Amino acid sequence: MVGLATIWGWFAPYFPVVVIVVVTTVVAWVADLIIGRLMRQSTPQMARTARRLGVVVVAVIGGTLVLQAVGLNPTVILLVIGLLGVTVLVALREPLGNYGAKYFSDIYTPFKIGDTILVQGVSGKVIEINPMTTVLLSENDQLISVPNVALIRDVVINTSPQAWKEVAIPVSLGATVDLPTFESDLLKSLTKLRLRLDPRFPPVLTTKSRTAQSTDLVLTLMIRRPEDRDAITLEVNKRLAELLDRMRGGLR
Amino acid sequence: MAPLSLCINTQTPLIQFLRPLEGDRLDPASRDPTDLTTLREGVDYRFSPGGVTRMVYPLIRRLLREGVLSEAHWVALNPHAPPVVRLGATTLHNVAIDVERMAGYGKVKEAIWSRIHEIDATERHDDLFWTEAFAEYAYYNRTTAELIQTLDREHDFDVFYVHDFQQMPVGHMLGSLKPKIFRWHIPFDVATIPEQWRAMLTTYLDGYDVIVVSAERYADALQALHPRGKVLRLYPYLDPADYGQPSRATVNATSARLGLGPRDVVALVVGRMDPIKGQDLAIEAVATLAEEHPRLKLVLVGNGSFSGSSTGLGLSKSGAWRDRLESLVRERHLEGRVLFTGHLPQDDLDCLYERCRFTVLPSVKEGFGLVAVESWLHGRPTIVTDRAGIAELIRDGVNGLLFDPERPGDLAEKMRSLLEDRSGKLRARLARNGRTASRHCSLETAARAEEQMLAEVTEA
Repeated sequence: MVGLATIWGWFAPYFPVVVIVVVTTVVAWVADLIIGRLMRQSTPQMARTARRLGVVVVAVIGGTLVLQAVGLNPTVILLVIGLLGVTVLVALREPLGNYGAKYFSDIYTPFKIGDTILVQGVSGKVIEINPMTTVLLSENDQLISVPNVALIRDVVINTSPQAWKEVAIPVSLGATVDLPTFESDLLKSLTKLRLRLDPRFPPVLTTKSRTAQSTDLVLTLMIRRPEDRDAITLEVNKRLAELLDRMRGGLR
Repeated sequence: MAPLSLCINTQTPLIQFLRPLEGDRLDPASRDPTDLTTLREGVDYRFSPGGVTRMVYPLIRRLLREGVLSEAHWVALNPHAPPVVRLGATTLHNVAIDVERMAGYGKVKEAIWSRIHEIDATERHDDLFWTEAFAEYAYYNRTTAELIQTLDREHDFDVFYVHDFQQMPVGHMLGSLKPKIFRWHIPFDVATIPEQWRAMLTTYLDGYDVIVVSAERYADALQALHPRGKVLRLYPYLDPADYGQPSRATVNATSARLGLGPRDVVALVVGRMDPIKGQDLAIEAVATLAEEHPRLKLVLVGNGSFSGSSTGLGLSKSGAWRDRLESLVRERHLEGRVLFTGHLPQDDLDCLYERCRFTVLPSVKEGFGLVAVESWLHGRPTIVTDRAGIAELIRDGVNGLLFDPERPGDLAEKMRSLLEDRSGKLRARLARNGRTASRHCSLETAARAEEQMLAEVTEA
């Protein structure tokens, strides 16, 4: 018969590790929740990135504590990881720059697929935005590839008619959210903002992609006055967050 | 062309259920098909009157028989039906939404209907797409689109065919790259569409690869509003094989049962009880002619639509219109000269077509007007409003008579010309040429055109 004392004897050396892993998991979950709440009025990409960053920071701290608990010196390991990171950053600075620029241009640059833009002296209709480049189709049927980093660094002019009016807000729904109910409630909520929106263009919700886990949509609004753009974006994001809070399983 | 897997979407279902079914057949979670052959027509269910049964279903059957289609899945709004019903090679999928949402949906579709048909000039509904009711209209269409997407994952459809304005947002909501066809059945006139609606309509119409309309003038108008879209004109159609000629004895017996004497001269109007159908114009015309033609009787056949029926959506407006017509009959002292038969089975309707002297399509506005084609198939002359889509097929005095519903007395004048055609030459000419014109609206002609369109959108 193996006694409890014997079992504890086997387990005891690992107990601090288990505690650290459990505590790290709980702290990461709480951090994710708090950051999500704090970022509720931001764009979904920003909120998602901030939450992911928070979880990674907590995980790194937890991992360091685990290494100490099992008797390893984390300093050397962190140094090696840091040096590897710097090497990768230097080697891949061009593509990573473009990738990062795509992330920020998705959020901050006011154009979308289908718009006509002028950047670095070339003009064309945006037909593709991939992680590295934005592809334009010129009037004489030429494909023009613009590195995404140029869209952050240089002046971009959106020459599409009434481009200033359009506000496109991305929305991600978890698989458990009932899309018809969400859309219906959202449209009802947006009727309250109608004085700030162009009466000829009611809000439209368009499905962009769908997986078993989530549905990505874009809510398109047309504003009446250019100076309302930021305020309306914030207000709509707030309403979206409240709506998704009410509907369990919502992701943003 | 390889046989296609088709998903068709209409608001009105092919089958209406007349009483609740026992067991778990109405359980929304149940996707086990109810086999229609285990139920009794006329007791448990009936085919919906109107276009879905006379036009869409015969086409589907024919395309399945000819191997153009490998399977057909038909999605429709049918709150009192089992979720899935099997009807031969066609599977019917029924959408249900709750009563509160149905009310909002009904309000929006009636507003669109009224505006397009210019029923109430005082109520423009400019802000329709900003109302809470519109959110329910979107709810119904999104629910339909979600069901279609689920079915698409199971069946991998080749093409989606969406019918009528109630379903217009479905194409946009599907978000599928597969071909999508939209059939616009009602009139289309840009002047009737408020400025505030146009961007939304264009967004929805952009969801389709082809938009089909019922008349050239609608095609021109729609193309003007939506220049990017591909617009086709295909006349609505009927299967002539569905129109039998009953025996003289059957016609006499049915006429007697419906209150028609052997010497009565019958003018027949077939259409649901709806202000747009203009039955009041026909009553006024009979009032004008009543003294000159004491044997003239007007027979009004039709009830409410699927939207108004108790087995349908319960959004009735037909009752009020019938009350108004009955009151008009009393005001004009036409009791006994105007008969309201309600909905009639096809056999009785065939008898009335055979019994009548002529038919009238008095609509104030009409997407097409297939009842004129039914009249031609029965060899009866027809008087048609010039506001109907079918008017572009009618040469006045050659294969029919046209009248202007806004010109007082015009309909009575046209009716008089047929009532006073003693030799019967005019009626014979109109009937003969009408039968020839009906070929434009036959299932045979339409099936070829629809097949070609399906081939073009799927093989483009």
